[in-house]
Amino acid sequence: MNIIFLTLGVSIAIAVIFLAAFIWATGRGQYDDLETPSHRILLDDYESENTNPRPKEGTDK
Amino acid sequence: MTDTTTAKEGDGGGLPGYGSCVHCGEPTGIETAVESAGLRFCCTGCSAVYEILNSLGLDDYYKIRAAQNIKGTTPARDPASGEDYSYLDQKSFADIYTTEEKPLTMSFYVEGIECAACLWLIEKIPSCAEGVESVSLNMSDNTALVTFTPEKKFSSFPDAVKRFGYRAHPVKPGEDTDDLRKKENRRSLIRLGVAAVCAGNIMLLSAAVYSGAGGVFEKYFTLVSFLLSIPVVTYCSLPFYRSVIVAVRSGRVTVDIPVVFVILAGFALSAHNFYAGSRAVYFDSITAFVFLLLGSRYFLKSVRGRLSEKEQPGKTFFSLNRVLVWDTAARQFFYEPLESLKTGSRIKLSKGERIPADGELVSRTAEINLAVLTGENIPRTIEKGDAVYAGSILESDEAVLKIESTGKATRIGKILDEVERNYAGKISLSGGSDRYAAVFTLAVGIISITAFFAISYMYGTRQGIERVMAFILIACPCAFVFVLPLFHSMSLKSAAGKGILIRDPGIFDKLPGVKNIFFDKTGTLTNGVFRILKWDTESLSGDDLGAILAIEKKSDHPVARAIVSRLAGMDLPIPEVGNFEHLYTKGVSAEAGGHLYTITSGESSLPSPNEINELIASTIVVRKDGKAISEITLGDSLKEDAKLAVSELSMMGYNVFVVSGDKEENVRQVADRIHIPCENIFFGETPEGKSGIIARHGRSMMIGDGLNDAPALASADVGVAIQGSVGESMKVSDAYILNNDLFTILDLLSHGASARATAKRNMALSISYNSIAGAFALAGYITPLAAAVLMPAVSLLLLGSALLGRSSRAGSKRRAAA
Repeated sequence: MNIIFLTLGVSIAIAVIFLAAFIWATGRGQYDDLETPSHRILLDDYESENTNPRPKEGTDK
Repeated sequence: MTDTTTAKEGDGGGLPGYGSCVHCGEPTGIETAVESAGLRFCCTGCSAVYEILNSLGLDDYYKIRAAQNIKGTTPARDPASGEDYSYLDQKSFADIYTTEEKPLTMSFYVEGIECAACLWLIEKIPSCAEGVESVSLNMSDNTALVTFTPEKKFSSFPDAVKRFGYRAHPVKPGEDTDDLRKKENRRSLIRLGVAAVCAGNIMLLSAAVYSGAGGVFEKYFTLVSFLLSIPVVTYCSLPFYRSVIVAVRSGRVTVDIPVVFVILAGFALSAHNFYAGSRAVYFDSITAFVFLLLGSRYFLKSVRGRLSEKEQPGKTFFSLNRVLVWDTAARQFFYEPLESLKTGSRIKLSKGERIPADGELVSRTAEINLAVLTGENIPRTIEKGDAVYAGSILESDEAVLKIESTGKATRIGKILDEVERNYAGKISLSGGSDRYAAVFTLAVGIISITAFFAISYMYGTRQGIERVMAFILIACPCAFVFVLPLFHSMSLKSAAGKGILIRDPGIFDKLPGVKNIFFDKTGTLTNGVFRILKWDTESLSGDDLGAILAIEKKSDHPVARAIVSRLAGMDLPIPEVGNFEHLYTKGVSAEAGGHLYTITSGESSLPSPNEINELIASTIVVRKDGKAISEITLGDSLKEDAKLAVSELSMMGYNVFVVSGDKEENVRQVADRIHIPCENIFFGETPEGKSGIIARHGRSMMIGDGLNDAPALASADVGVAIQGSVGESMKVSDAYILNNDLFTILDLLSHGASARATAKRNMALSISYNSIAGAFALAGYITPLAAAVLMPAVSLLLLGSALLGRSSRAGSKRRAAA
């Protein structure tokens, strides 16, 4: 049963990795605007040749 | 700019029938339709935008709209009409609107964004506008973050936006509260995330311990729980500690005081017990408590944020950001940022601009609309040397002013500053639960101390400490620290569904107490739009009408504009106009087609209108060679539902009042129509006067829209701003009504009553739970397992009760009947 000590450590490490990912995403502003992306996803079909690169998601100014 | 001359108003003349506009989908009226390239538009604005989009190859806009079944929107502004943004390219402006770290980025608030097609169009701007590098639009608050090329041509974005029929206002970085809110929002989200991870893992470990993991496992699991709870009681709970420090300093009791006590005492007790080898550890309960608390507050805040999003930068009074200032050295007017305006500067304003500061008129005469201070919409003529006040609108062509005071030192600035400062203290962040906190804290404190001495006396000090701690934990005020905010945020959401945005959930406590309801007149009970009510154009010949149109086109008075817009769609012969003359304060006279026409205000010979909603403001008489040939009745009109809504309110037992800055006769006219008794009418009131009346009456609700209503809205127990309100009024209102329907007020009142009933039931449930469980804790029956099960179970129970109480009633039924 000693394996529990290891698996517990691993599970917490995984949790911390996900937490870090979440903090990074929040800091980059991915949760600031939950409305626009739902509209933007519908527009991909209309990209024409002279498309400009999609602007980067708003980070802190 | 493209060729829009083919689509001038006059050409649309004889178009038969109605259709819908190719650009915006609005029905095109016979009088106003514009035809261009075989397509029909409702106005020149729409046709110009259509042409521009096509010429730039951006006609996918229409495909997107069709695919998503979205109706278009009328352009916020006629794209041909020029608003000059070149001032943004000056260094003095660039310094204000950009930051040092990001000198090429500027934020804009874009008016008129409605749908995905708008988003697509705005983000396409870099492909067709020189100087714009990239655009990222946020549709939840209609702001665009724009990056420019190193040439720093900042006017290129607003110019491009203007051509598409929208309107962009630059937004200052930093002082923009939006930015602060965003950062604060991110921080709370991260706190919530950390609490969720820790609490979730601790719960898993505790479940193992409760289901029998013993010996070395129990020790190990508890140790990990202890370590995981450290970030929760430190980092995640930081906002609670801060708010307690603030509360203690200012000598107030807030709900956060018992919260912090529970967190700290629970953690200390658990840590001590863990060290001493006892099983009485509450890490799971404490962390779950913090998580739920953070979650409920985050939710409440995000629901409430919607009101602030409606506070559009473009709609506030001091939105004018540049002004023409006289430069003595260069003997010329230059655009300067509004901030650089100083006492003694001379500024030039053009027609329709809002006066940015208090001062005096230097040019000869001017017509000023003082609606900001008086609520009266008809312009007054002022002479050289007369005082002008910030916030009023220039209705005549051009005026030069000498500035005396600016910003917060102006008359209106002082009023607003005062109002906002007083209002800031009115809002509670914990969802209206602070009021109960004092009673609760006191009760728990007294019981704890008595019980501690009693139990210590009977069973020893150790038992005393443990049982009292268990009592405090179990008696944690979960009902009002997270169930009440959660319940309130759901009430706010359902109110938003009915078109009411609520800022302060505290109004649910105040709404049932309301006895006196005050209405502003202009813009609230009436439509606030000055238009032609009655004009028998049939009896006039085409030549006469053409002459009137030609003459009035030369004038900029609102009356003239109303007449021109009425005649614009007709196919009329336009004669030459000579000897045009402004008759001082009265009207105009001119020669056209060999006759002398005078168009002046005068006495009406017609009986007053029997149309119930119309309100006469003035009568204009048209004379041809001295003989009266026609009469034009101009005025405002009542909102259609004003009378029904007011009589319903009176029937429900409310005292309905009108407070207005307008003249007595105009206010009486309105009050008579909607049956408001004479003693409930207040007219000619200043903004301060309105506020005083409301303060005198007490238990009041104020419904208004204008800047002059702001003090009244703030001093009323419940301030309600209605659709079309200026930002300053919205800022100090407790609620904002999104539609133009006065019946929504009735919805708000009934919503408030039912919300309060549910909140009361929840409080009763929670207090009975707290007393029973608390008694068990003091008797020594509550184990950590019992606490871990009871706390979430009770929270769920209360939440269920809150949800059940939300069954919507009233309102919809009434509207069906109306």
